[in-house]
Amino acid sequence: MLEGSVMTVKLFVITLVLSLPLGLPFALGSNSRILPVKALCRAYVWIFRGTPLLLQLFFFYFFFPLVLGLQISGFAAAVLTYVLNYAAYFAEIYRGGINSIDKGQYEAAHALGLSRRQTMLDIIMPQTMKAILPPVVNEAITLVKDTALASTLPIVELMKATNSAVNGTTSMIPFFCAAAIYLIMTFVLTVLAGRLEKYFKRYDAKEEW
Amino acid sequence: MERETVLEMKNIVKEYEGSEARAVDNVNFSMKKGEIVAIIGPSGSGKSTLLRCINGLNKVTSGEIKLKGDTGMVFQHFNLFPHMTCMENITYAPVKVKKKDRKAAEEKAMELLDLVGLANKKDMYPAQISGGQKQRIAIARALAMEPEIMLFDEATSALDPEITGEVLNVMKKLARAHTTMIVVTHEMGFAREVADRVLFMDHGVIVEEGTPEEIFDNPKSERLKAFLGAMLRA
Repeated sequence: MLEGSVMTVKLFVITLVLSLPLGLPFALGSNSRILPVKALCRAYVWIFRGTPLLLQLFFFYFFFPLVLGLQISGFAAAVLTYVLNYAAYFAEIYRGGINSIDKGQYEAAHALGLSRRQTMLDIIMPQTMKAILPPVVNEAITLVKDTALASTLPIVELMKATNSAVNGTTSMIPFFCAAAIYLIMTFVLTVLAGRLEKYFKRYDAKEEW
Repeated sequence: MERETVLEMKNIVKEYEGSEARAVDNVNFSMKKGEIVAIIGPSGSGKSTLLRCINGLNKVTSGEIKLKGDTGMVFQHFNLFPHMTCMENITYAPVKVKKKDRKAAEEKAMELLDLVGLANKKDMYPAQISGGQKQRIAIARALAMEPEIMLFDEATSALDPEITGEVLNVMKKLARAHTTMIVVTHEMGFAREVADRVLFMDHGVIVEEGTPEEIFDNPKSERLKAFLGAMLRA
């Protein structure tokens, strides 16, 4: 089960590290004034949010050998699916965050001669961070648990390891252990999120006016 | 001595999508360096729209704008960057847009903070200072870009009456230093005292234009008379 836990953490970390930045171009694209870009990004989000993650896992696992004639490991298929799926969710969260920023901020940036890039990068995004943190953490916690779906592919992550342990020992204890391990992971995430939240609150009012 | 023209607007028309009436209807206007122009008029008269056409926040439907140099704008709702300190608000654009040396930008910012009387707030975030103070920081932020013309879009309308004075005083200081300014305002006292020229707008047109004495003491049009009467009663 230790190895399974390591695999789960690996899946989780790799997915998060890749999907968090990947969501951004899709978020910006969804707001794009270039119509094909906008349509493409919206369609992407629509498909990946609108179909079961389990279906996507099977799809990518079989897509490479059946359609492209390429061998793909269960791990690679799982990472690919999770990254694409979570990028779609993060894109929607980012888009909501970006749209929540007051238009006066764009106007001030324009009046000062900032480029679109500077406006997004230095003015809009930093303000978005605070707003999107809670939903992003929420997604991250869901991801911890979603990794269990990868047990349907040939990967030994925590869920599959737990199953084998139960089968091998005919004891319920592995389930409790697995639950404890998942809880520890989500607990660590919650604590980290709390710290980040504090950091982003640094420019809030210290006194009421 | 003939002063140079810094802004010339010809036949400016602004229409909003889905709206029949023109927000700005064939306005001609020009101003010279060092001039202070106040634009007055009822809400929805098109005065803010006209102002925002000057710096491109509103795209004109038709017409021609000739502008010498940059503009700086002060907004009704300040629009300070909440994630930056007052100092960072002021130095960001000079450093990032004008590629000014950070140290030079900070020195200039200190001068401006002194000018608006808020040197002691430089490391505060906007949420930590009052509305009047925010607007003074916003003025400093706009000035830091050394604009040719300063545009004030109802800069005191969102403030409580007792603190509009601190903002108006800063604007008077700028006027005394011969800053070229266009001030869209409801503050008739300020317009009368500070402006070289007052425009009265209604329904997207400049109805009347003249010195403060001409506008406030000898209004010609019925619309201006009615507007001033209403302002006095308020």
